Amino acid sequence: MVRVAFDHGADAVYVGAKGWSRRRAQYEMEDPQIAEAARYARSVGKILRVAFNTLPASSEAPLFLSRTDALYEAGIRDFILTDPGLMMALKNRHPDTILHASVGCTIINVQDALFYKEAGASQVVAECRMDKDTMRKIKEEARVGLEVLVHATTCYTLLGRCTMSSYVRHEHQVDAEGKDHFPGSPNRGGLCYRICLSDWDRVSGAGVLEASGVALPNTAYFLADDIPDLIDLGVDTIKIQGREYSPALVGEMVRFYRELIDACVRDRAGFRMEPWKERMAGIVAGRDAERKEKTAGLIRESLG
Amino acid sequence: MHGFELIVSVASPGELAGTDLSPYDAVCLGSPYCRRVEGNYAESLERLDDAVSRLHAAGRKAYVTTPAAPREADLPHVGRLIDAAAAAGADALEVHNLGVLRMLREKGRPLPAHMGAYANVYTHLAAGVMRDAGAVRVRPNAEVTIEEMGTIAREAAVEVELLVHGKIPLGVTDRCFLLAGPEESDPNCPSACREEHWLTTRQWVLKTVGKGVLSGRDMCLLEHLPRLVREGFRVFRVEGLYETAAYRSEIGAVYRESLAIAFAGGDYAVMEGWASAVRRHAKRGLCNGYCFGFAGRKYVGTVLQGDNPGV
Repeated sequence: MVRVAFDHGADAVYVGAKGWSRRRAQYEMEDPQIAEAARYARSVGKILRVAFNTLPASSEAPLFLSRTDALYEAGIRDFILTDPGLMMALKNRHPDTILHASVGCTIINVQDALFYKEAGASQVVAECRMDKDTMRKIKEEARVGLEVLVHATTCYTLLGRCTMSSYVRHEHQVDAEGKDHFPGSPNRGGLCYRICLSDWDRVSGAGVLEASGVALPNTAYFLADDIPDLIDLGVDTIKIQGREYSPALVGEMVRFYRELIDACVRDRAGFRMEPWKERMAGIVAGRDAERKEKTAGLIRESLG
Repeated sequence: MHGFELIVSVASPGELAGTDLSPYDAVCLGSPYCRRVEGNYAESLERLDDAVSRLHAAGRKAYVTTPAAPREADLPHVGRLIDAAAAAGADALEVHNLGVLRMLREKGRPLPAHMGAYANVYTHLAAGVMRDAGAVRVRPNAEVTIEEMGTIAREAAVEVELLVHGKIPLGVTDRCFLLAGPEESDPNCPSACREEHWLTTRQWVLKTVGKGVLSGRDMCLLEHLPRLVREGFRVFRVEGLYETAAYRSEIGAVYRESLAIAFAGGDYAVMEGWASAVRRHAKRGLCNGYCFGFAGRKYVGTVLQGDNPGV
């Protein structure tokens, strides 16, 4: 999938280090695979960034440092993290690393961005519902790189501040290296059972049914319309969440955004969204179908 | 402090009314969930002086909470809240958002910070960064086990606060789930979150308070207090937000008495009166799974599990 993303126009690709990213192991990579992907990225003049953006146990900090040391030795300098303590530890150990603060940091205001900048981040991911005024202020006042997810999901709660999944099912699964994958905790191990998307009944204190079959809002979005504004704001990275989709769909999405961004940059004054919308509708339909199937499987799994 | 500190959270004068504070050493004033909660001490700054003075006069510490998820537009208010809490003589500021911690530091740390439940403290390294920015106490994320909390306390040299009883904070958002329209114009705001609302599906129950999701079951560590004492924990919270005065009063009394016995050493057993009180107030059952590395809704223990249908 890494090659697909690069070959369809991505400038950078995030991959998850096995056990350490906000996805379950099947969407993560072993170190040799990461090193190989980094070599490919360098060969085509692009960047591979490695996600260590879970919130581990304190006892796993030495493991984090040894894993990142090994990747550093393999030539990798770009990482994305959530825990400010790990961020500072890595930056102190390898000052030439380039650290991004993950969406799991829930950066929602300028002061947040400044906090993570001081912890060592040169770029921060905006919380999914951040307004454009705040983005502008982060660029102007925090003077830190800004990354915006244009294709992701807005969780019911603020992403990175939710433990609903692990409240219903949470286990420990320690791999051969000693890393706990914390199945059920998106913050700690990446697997979220998406229980918010179950059919909920809302009941009063007296037991009266107030609403039935309510899905707590957790919607996938596709912000192509906003891209011209994001470019005008000076947003540094426009990001697509792709890991859980099929390589074919990811390739299609990346190509779409690449062409749209290039067209917008080439002729900002004359750029119009209308011609792109039909193509976008097809991608949205494909994405929603894959997501719906995955969500149903996760909810079934949560009951296991 | 009598060897330990028992804290209760209270959002507003409405919640404070009728609550017997005698079991508690400290009260955390305000709701971190929504600025529109009626009478929210974290919003109605003119109430802080009087509330803090009254608590001090009664021999209680007064902490003031801050919004869990302040957007950029909320920060000017947060700045005024910090100033007002410091001017009122509050003993600490509860902080959930790292930007707010930074603001406090930039203001010259006019009062110490206690990192709240939504600050995402998972590691001693993160706690150390927060300590260096002005935090003297942290409440680790709900998912952090007792064993991990011990590591955080030892390695980061900060006090660790534990939720010993009450609803577990599971999520926060800035869009109210109880309203159909914008909160500024919806006639159900702010009354909707004064009423009790549960979310149920399959075998799961959660409590919604509009902008917050709480556990349906009540966290209960009553039968594990001797272990907490042995492991060096000294600061305990009863979650009183969105509960009745009777809940805060009676659960507080249970923990005041049980903690005193646990701290005295010797034999410890859950008394029938305590068990009866916690069962009576836990409408959806008890839980404590997170503390022991299990799903949050599970209950680990042998005493209170028996005849509780929710467990």
